[in-house]
Amino acid sequence: MLLDAQTLARLQGVKLRARAVMEGVLSGLHKSPHQGQSVEFAEHKEYAPGDELRHLDWKAYGKFDKYYVKRFEHETNLRAVMVVDASASMGYRSGALSKLDVATTLAGALCYLLVRQQDAAGLALMAGGKWKDVPPRASAGHLNVLLDTLEHTAPNGGTDLGSAADHLAEVLPRRSSVVVLSDLLDENQDALRRILALRQRKNDVSVFHLVDPAELTFPFDDPTLFLDMEGEGRIEVNPREIKESYLEEFGAFLASVKAACAEADVDYELVRTDDKLDDVLLRYLARRGRRR
Amino acid sequence: MTFGNPWMLLGALGALIPLLVHLFDRRRPRPHAFGPLAFVLRSQKRTASRLKLKRLLLYALRTLILLAIPIALARPELTRDAAAAQAVKGPAATAIILDASLSMRWSDGTSNFERARDEARDALKDLLPEEPATLLVCTQAPAAPPPPGFDRGRLRSLVDEARATYGAADLSRCLDMAARALEESPMPAKRLVLVSDMTAAAFRLEAPPPTVKGPTGAPVKPEVVLRDAAEGHEVLGNRAIVDLKVEPALQAGPRTFQFTFTVRNFGAEPVKDLEAVVRVGESTLAKGFVDIPPGGTTQKTLTVRFPQGGTVLGQVALAPDALVEDDRRSFVLPVPRALKALVVNGSPHATRYRDEAFFVDAALTAPGSPVEVSTRDAEVGLREDFSAYDLVLLLNVPAPGADEAEKLAAFVEKGGGLFISMGDRVNPDAYNQRLGAVLPRPLRLVRTSAERDDPDADTRSARLAQVSVEHVLFAPFTGRAEEGLVGARFYKYMLLEADNPGASGASQVLATYEDGAPAVAVARRGKGRVALLTSTVDRDWSDFAIRTSFLPLMQRFAAYLTGSLDEREEVRVRVGEGATLRPEGAQKVSAVRAPDGAEVSVKEQPDGSLVAGPVLEPGVYSVLGADGKVQPDLSFAAVLDPSESDLGRVPQDTLTAYFGEETVKASTGDADKPSVPLWTWLILAACLAFFFEGTLLRK
Repeated sequence: MLLDAQTLARLQGVKLRARAVMEGVLSGLHKSPHQGQSVEFAEHKEYAPGDELRHLDWKAYGKFDKYYVKRFEHETNLRAVMVVDASASMGYRSGALSKLDVATTLAGALCYLLVRQQDAAGLALMAGGKWKDVPPRASAGHLNVLLDTLEHTAPNGGTDLGSAADHLAEVLPRRSSVVVLSDLLDENQDALRRILALRQRKNDVSVFHLVDPAELTFPFDDPTLFLDMEGEGRIEVNPREIKESYLEEFGAFLASVKAACAEADVDYELVRTDDKLDDVLLRYLARRGRRR
Repeated sequence: MTFGNPWMLLGALGALIPLLVHLFDRRRPRPHAFGPLAFVLRSQKRTASRLKLKRLLLYALRTLILLAIPIALARPELTRDAAAAQAVKGPAATAIILDASLSMRWSDGTSNFERARDEARDALKDLLPEEPATLLVCTQAPAAPPPPGFDRGRLRSLVDEARATYGAADLSRCLDMAARALEESPMPAKRLVLVSDMTAAAFRLEAPPPTVKGPTGAPVKPEVVLRDAAEGHEVLGNRAIVDLKVEPALQAGPRTFQFTFTVRNFGAEPVKDLEAVVRVGESTLAKGFVDIPPGGTTQKTLTVRFPQGGTVLGQVALAPDALVEDDRRSFVLPVPRALKALVVNGSPHATRYRDEAFFVDAALTAPGSPVEVSTRDAEVGLREDFSAYDLVLLLNVPAPGADEAEKLAAFVEKGGGLFISMGDRVNPDAYNQRLGAVLPRPLRLVRTSAERDDPDADTRSARLAQVSVEHVLFAPFTGRAEEGLVGARFYKYMLLEADNPGASGASQVLATYEDGAPAVAVARRGKGRVALLTSTVDRDWSDFAIRTSFLPLMQRFAAYLTGSLDEREEVRVRVGEGATLRPEGAQKVSAVRAPDGAEVSVKEQPDGSLVAGPVLEPGVYSVLGADGKVQPDLSFAAVLDPSESDLGRVPQDTLTAYFGEETVKASTGDADKPSVPLWTWLILAACLAFFFEGTLLRK
């Protein structure tokens, strides 16, 4: 079931939308490699105080005279953090859904999927220059917390991807999966590079670049006073006069973001707010499956 | 710079609209919160300089559009010179005057008129769409043109249908008529386009040049465009028959005539051995050659003897030149037929000159006379079969017997002519009794004015006092010829009663003596005519027989009484005039046909005469009787106005000075197309500005 933006918009709340998207995704996955939970041995780890004594490998102790703890597959589950940009610019909408609506829906759907396969899912929301973190957990009850948090997120403040990158570097363990959902409209030219630098810390980074169709096509005709959504800036222009130039600029921006992601080995997904989101997720998951 | 509609310049204030819109436009742009404002800002900075230039261009183009349109509507023109100020400028109501006179038929392969029609078509083509026009085809009787209009198709049709006429044209009058038509147009500027060969005969340069009412009501000179249809010909060479006289040449025999025609050379080169002929139908009756100096005139006489009497329709002609119409002239000539006359001599005498019929016989048989005379004494003569004669002359004959009188009356009734002269043997009572119905007036008694032997006879004898020279019988006796009549002395003459009450028609007294007694009375009786001379035709009662007027008068008596002398005045008619016809007796006119066969209108006049025409072409016009047959004796020839043969041209400088140097524009051929007015360029500029403005807006 592929759900278009109009249909999703009629579903009130992130929970419903995320669930609808998730179900659409599941019906499209069929035999998913993520289905079920593995309990097979994965690796040895040298014992450290606090480890489960019942997982001590006595045979290894007999051979090497050192304590080793067995680690199993279920213990290597993904820790994924949804980094949702809730800046004011994410509140822009020309159609049924704002960029933030799409971002929270996608984040919620991904959380559904992760928790359903007992992976840990967490959130890092940036709104109004403040961070709101929900640490990754895999419990079913945790999902409600995640969805509630997404539900009550409102667009506010400016975009500061650089500080988001710094914050994640502090709180995330290595090899975490980081899913960034943002319009990437950061005045700081270095911000994207710092986000992508998370990949160098062995994290699996994915970027969902959210774009409103109006931002792509600039469909304005009459003289318009454009107001900055994250500041006091304003400019009065005749859109027809600058349309060509704007489309060039914005196209170059999208191309540069895509090129930077590719260079940093980061999954990049351009998401229009009028796209079918389950389709977006299926495309994303299929690409990740191919990468494995 | 002048403006046709200066008030339209007020519209140029509209050019301020873009500026005012820029200054006072308070439209608030729609606010719109937009995420990627940085890109908008960058785009705006990138395009700012280009946009500024574009806006400036748009402003300039819009101002140009709003400025050019009202100025164009004001119809600006560059001022030509100061003197032209009196003529209103701008698009002009135009009247084209197309000369259709005879001279336009002059041809050097292509006639002047064909060239003139091309010029007129060009003139129509050169008109601006907003210029109304009218056309006047200038003929001898031009019709007033309608007010200028915009139906170019109709004007082109008029030009196509126009034909050169055979008459003279008064271009001055036509220009004036065209000027009056122009005054009916509300357009302030007026223009006259004259298409002509500019021959001097067509202009009356002593008359003032045409003017029209100006915007203030005062007369102003309209613009005059001269289109010369004979451009390239300094002189239009021509020679023409300007006059023709046809006179009997009695000395050369009966039915012999002299054709004297005057030929003029209007060219600058002498003409030698120019052939001149007299033709009847296809046969040439006489031919001669003439030499004419440049600008000179020559007379040539050709003598023609016609084999038989009757009305002859013919033509005299010269070898054709560029204007062939005036190289020939038609004539209608009544050639007297041979007449048989019976002279009944009432008083024969052994001595010829004392014989009653001596002088009459001599007069009627004179050289050139068509009369064949048979003379009998009274006894024999009155028993003759009168039907074998055209004319019977009773000279001092005693009253005929009843049977003879009846025969005479029947003879006259059937169309015979009867001449009666008096003498001692005439018994008035017997005449009145037996020939009373035939006589113009009853006879009364003889009056003796003087005895012949009286020494004072010269002074006491009677003379003719009133002679009706307007009558055909006495028509030649005017001027010095009248001397022969009034000099005659009449010693005795028969007095007449008042008009004959028993006769069918009224008599006419054509000559009287000093005492008012009739000398000559005529009357119609049936189809015939009777003439009564109240004195003798020998020297018994008068010396008229030895007067110079006797011979021609007796010959005219003979011709008149037999109907061979045309009683009608010779019909002399020029092209453009009407011909007056006077049908005789029972003659009826059913139609008059032009040389080309077209029917000519005929109008009856109160005096019973008919006026045919006006005739429009030269040549012989046939008159049809009630039976539809041609009546040659009523036919007439129309001739050209010789003034049109003079093709001397008015120099361009003269015409320019006449119309006014500031108003005349000579236009011939394609080289002198009217210049494109300034305002058309303005409209073009506005259109281009409009196009570029649209292009800029789309970018």
